[in-house]
Amino acid sequence: MKSEAPYLWIIGGSAGSFTPLRQALLNLPYDPDMTIVLCLHRLKQARFQITDAFLRIKGWRVAEPDDKTPIEGGCIYIAPADYHLLIEKEGYFSLSVEEPVHFSRPSIDVTMFSLIQAGWPRAGGILLSGANKDGAQGLFKMYQVGYFTAVQDPADAEVPHMPTAALALFTPHEVFPISTLPHLLTQKPIPPK
Amino acid sequence: MQEEVLPDIAESDLETFFQIMHAVYGYDFREYARASVLRRLGTIFKKYGLPDMKALNQRLLKQRDFFETFLHEFRIGATELFRDPSAWVALRKQVLPLFMANQQIRIWHAGASTGEEVLSLAILLTEIGLYPRSQIYATDIDPKTLQIAPKARYPLRHKRLYMENFQQVLPDVPFSKYAREEGNELVFDPQLLQNVRFLRHNLVSDEPFSRFEMILCRNVLIYFTPELQDRVIRKFIQALVPGGILMIGTKESLFWCKEAEKAFVPINSIERLYRRQA
Repeated sequence: MKSEAPYLWIIGGSAGSFTPLRQALLNLPYDPDMTIVLCLHRLKQARFQITDAFLRIKGWRVAEPDDKTPIEGGCIYIAPADYHLLIEKEGYFSLSVEEPVHFSRPSIDVTMFSLIQAGWPRAGGILLSGANKDGAQGLFKMYQVGYFTAVQDPADAEVPHMPTAALALFTPHEVFPISTLPHLLTQKPIPPK
Repeated sequence: MQEEVLPDIAESDLETFFQIMHAVYGYDFREYARASVLRRLGTIFKKYGLPDMKALNQRLLKQRDFFETFLHEFRIGATELFRDPSAWVALRKQVLPLFMANQQIRIWHAGASTGEEVLSLAILLTEIGLYPRSQIYATDIDPKTLQIAPKARYPLRHKRLYMENFQQVLPDVPFSKYAREEGNELVFDPQLLQNVRFLRHNLVSDEPFSRFEMILCRNVLIYFTPELQDRVIRKFIQALVPGGILMIGTKESLFWCKEAEKAFVPINSIERLYRRQA
């Protein structure tokens, strides 16, 4: 892992997360030292539509990564439908068609666990509105190994099941309303050891 | 329901695993992409009630007959009939017509897994009238999947998805022309496999076959490091006749293979169909 690797956010969500997330990211100032990985559950036939919805975010390059795409700063990557998205310690993505986890492919747990295995130097994990508990374990493990973690306030989430599942496991560093997401992202927080 | 496990695997135990695989069983997994290797191993511990990587290594050393089961679990990749329908539409419309004048069409389906995509290809060749002139070599590293594929029988729960995919690719053809229900299974017409030979073959270590008009290798390269992808793609270049076609997964790329830039021109870059230059 190169030491100049960008701060990497993994943002997980499913039902009720797309529209507010897109709205929040539209207000995010460009940062070449930040990479955002969106791991959103979606229907498999919607191959390009979501990427299109996120395409125009000022300054940022938005892409559905191919397998072995190098992970770069200033990019927002959207996990492709019907693949798991894994982070490799060499600094690129791998895709996988292994079985779904929590009926989900991409699975947020899978992406978060791969980040931990890769030992990415600076990273944070976020869970948004969603309909199942995928991501709760992944975020909890990120917390345990020392990454920053945050969960959308269930009262603010259209579908609170996903944030609630995480809060049942542990108390993350921050519980926030989605309107404050851009501010949270720009801070690139690193919890004290 | 499948739950995710975070395996705690020491680098030294992983090294021992690679050595056992190589020295005892003749498989080299060192150039498999690491994240997925760790994930598979973690899943296998859990499934077989093993406490850690050391225990799995011991079992692989002492119990030779566990290896086939292990390999099957390790290499499992879920496939489906006409996965990525738009890619198969592109194959049908942009590629298969190129072969109408051919006396014979030799096709290598590398990483055929449980055979759903072999059937997909056979159905399209049948529909366009090329099947009688086609010879398909369907290969896989895993002997267990090679026992499943020739039966062309799948759990009935897949029917809805397979039928939906089928109808997107062949909207004017009834699904029942090629598949029927039998008990708890979806059974495909055995005629589709008449010109198919299923063979065990390791893409990493075995010599490639040669003189193919077409190679399909979908969602296999994703498990390899960039270096290994480069080597395997170069094997494909050698194995294709000039003008031959390569079809890879829609999220795979030839990015890491320098030689591919000169060797291939894209026929459909979104669906990842390439033609070997003369």
